[in-house]
Amino acid sequence: MTEPTASRPLADYDPAPFFCELTGRTGQDAADLAMIRKRLEGHDVATLMQRAREAENELFNLGITFTVYTDKDAIDRILPFDVIPRILTAAEWRQIESGVTQRVQALNLFLWDVYHDQKILKDGIVPRDLVLGNSNYRPEMEGLDPPCGTYIHINGTDIVRNRNGEFQVLEDNGRSPSGVSYVVENRHLMQRAFPDLMRGLKVQPVSNYGEQLVAKLREVAPAGVDDPSIVLLSPGVYNSAYFEHIFLAREMGVPLVEGRDLIVENDRVFMRTLAGLQPVHVIYRRINDDFLDPEAFNKKSMLGVAGLMRAARKGNLTLANAVGTGVADDKAVYAYVPDIIRYYLTEEPILKNVDTHICGTEVGLKYTLDHLAELVVKPVGESGGYGIVVGPKATQMEREACRRQIEADPANFISQPMIDLSVCPTLVDGKVEPRHVDLRPYAVTGRSTWVLPGGLTRVALKRGSLIVNSSQGGGTKDTWVLEGAQS
Amino acid sequence: MSLLSRYAEDLFWLARYIERASNLARIVETQVAYDRGRDEDVSWAWLVALHSDQERFNKSYGDASFANVIRFYVADMENAGSVRFSLRAARENARALRAVIPTEMWNHLNEFYNRFLIVSDADLEPIRLWRTCAQIKDGCYAQIGVAESTLYRDEGWRFFRIGLMLERADQTSRLLDVKFAQLATGLQPADRAGDATFWSLVLRSAAAYQAFVRLERRGADPNRVARFLLINSSHPRSVAFSVMQIKMLLHELGSGYGLRQSRHAQEKIEALLEVLQVAAMEPDLVSKLHAINDSLQRSLIELTNELGLRFFGHPPPEAVEPSQLATGAQSQSQRQSST
Repeated sequence: MTEPTASRPLADYDPAPFFCELTGRTGQDAADLAMIRKRLEGHDVATLMQRAREAENELFNLGITFTVYTDKDAIDRILPFDVIPRILTAAEWRQIESGVTQRVQALNLFLWDVYHDQKILKDGIVPRDLVLGNSNYRPEMEGLDPPCGTYIHINGTDIVRNRNGEFQVLEDNGRSPSGVSYVVENRHLMQRAFPDLMRGLKVQPVSNYGEQLVAKLREVAPAGVDDPSIVLLSPGVYNSAYFEHIFLAREMGVPLVEGRDLIVENDRVFMRTLAGLQPVHVIYRRINDDFLDPEAFNKKSMLGVAGLMRAARKGNLTLANAVGTGVADDKAVYAYVPDIIRYYLTEEPILKNVDTHICGTEVGLKYTLDHLAELVVKPVGESGGYGIVVGPKATQMEREACRRQIEADPANFISQPMIDLSVCPTLVDGKVEPRHVDLRPYAVTGRSTWVLPGGLTRVALKRGSLIVNSSQGGGTKDTWVLEGAQS
Repeated sequence: MSLLSRYAEDLFWLARYIERASNLARIVETQVAYDRGRDEDVSWAWLVALHSDQERFNKSYGDASFANVIRFYVADMENAGSVRFSLRAARENARALRAVIPTEMWNHLNEFYNRFLIVSDADLEPIRLWRTCAQIKDGCYAQIGVAESTLYRDEGWRFFRIGLMLERADQTSRLLDVKFAQLATGLQPADRAGDATFWSLVLRSAAAYQAFVRLERRGADPNRVARFLLINSSHPRSVAFSVMQIKMLLHELGSGYGLRQSRHAQEKIEALLEVLQVAAMEPDLVSKLHAINDSLQRSLIELTNELGLRFFGHPPPEAVEPSQLATGAQSQSQRQSST
């Protein structure tokens, strides 16, 4: 007896006109993907749905959640998880890995330069105002020498893929990128829910992220400290990324501390333990610059610890990431990253940027206003997908509102052509349909850079939507990097 | 490297809240299972009196009917003494501890709590209440079992155990005051037979009935029951057993981990043991129970304050500021004012 074809997951699947992450490859790369596709076809949609439900229940019960606090209760929500994995071939991964490494290296050199000699500004490669007039520029960092010259220890690079399957960088996240816990937890979840899908495939592991991170943080310990005491500083249980803080502290084997657990005495940092104050040398902090140290920054911060900047300036403390990295991952500075790479490394960028028009420049502003209907407009200072206007999808009224906002404060906006993000088969409402995805690989840097194979694949669950942020109805997928044919 | 003070405190309260929820569930379970046939509408006021909750209870409910008292103590999120409140507080403490406790401990508590969240009104009806309470109690036992099986034996484990034992001593001592609470609410048993039933219920509420009848073949004589629950050294829920455990744990913290400040808490333990020794020699123990329990309760509060001061970094009691543990401190001070 044959089952009705409609219950086969990919029977009606049509990704056109976009590049599909499962069916889009040709040639040698296509073989492994064809096998995964065949295995997927071996399940009917009902089975996929059943396993998806079980997986999401598991996320809830394991507390792999973000928490929304109301007056009365703590409501735990899971990040929607899609069970169909996103695959990267060995060759694709080589390009991403080297491209991300190159970018992080260049951004660290850039940060050292802007907080020391400012050669790149003097040489006119990056406009002086864009850096020194940036609200994320921290004069407190001038002349400070972080160990190994590393400012961005943990970096997330948002990468998209256009219609031709080319990778392009959309954004750098060098402040406190989140989401890496989902990469690892999604993998564990997939291994439990779909052992049959991965069987016999060589997929690069992701579960050693914590070990790699702690090893890199040891490399950047203050000078003279052989066995550094490392902690993870969290704003606390009310932070929506608290699960990730727990996850990272657990995987790294370091204490998860809050501001009230730390104290600075004589420019040295200590934590309060049962046996009294004990030294802290490296802080992986998940608190923004503004709230990190009420003595140096926002005076009203209850989350931070007074004196951390003093300790860092004296060379007694390494903050990861360093303060002031926001000047390198800003959406306007982003447009100059290819030039920054060329300037410091005398190499061509391995990963391309998306064309970016800076409304703070006369040319960029004119172009943006003349082509509003074709462009995606982004506020420079926002993150989380807030404030983005997608020209081709916006109404006339929305576009006009956008125009007025740009005219009022041009320097706060950039625009980019609309990228037809690649798609991935995704289980939605009992059907498998194409949905747009992006990719955020995570790089950790001490003396050198290591990139976690794969990264977080975010998927826009709404049909046609290009915005993958979880705050805008996005979900995640497991990301498999195939090791390639070595045998 | 020594344990973060905050972790020690959170482990202490995690255990206390679990133990508190478990005791409350067992008291209700026992009452429902064995106390049938009485006038249900009047026989539940004592539970409110036992916890000195009359004022708060009357404010939100007024009538101490079965349904109201059960709602107040099992499901009421506003009541800092309810099972639901305790389990949520336990889970919030565990959440703050997730980086340090085994994932098994968090997973169990999280699943347990999520199951309890879907308890409906029907689960609180007389017909189902017994099962609901039994499930809560079993969930708490299992939680302590998971800790026993997986929690690393460092200072944190000792604080978890101290919290557990302190709450247990508190609850058992409180249980012995039921008689006083009942007298206070005009619910004096009518005859001697009723009296024996009452004391065997007290034993069951402390999960001590079977051990007691094995030891004492002459039945539930009030003085013998009180003595058993206060000073028996082998029953895991007796006050003396719990206090001796705390004494041992404090000694381990002092000698094994060099935490010399534990001697201050040890002094409080000696005071507790003295109260118990005096009680042991009392021929008519039942008549003195209320006074004894008063001093036990006072000493337990002093012990808790001492731990806060010496280990958890609290300011001295007169300068206590509301913190995340305000709920715990609050219910402590409520008890303090009730004595």
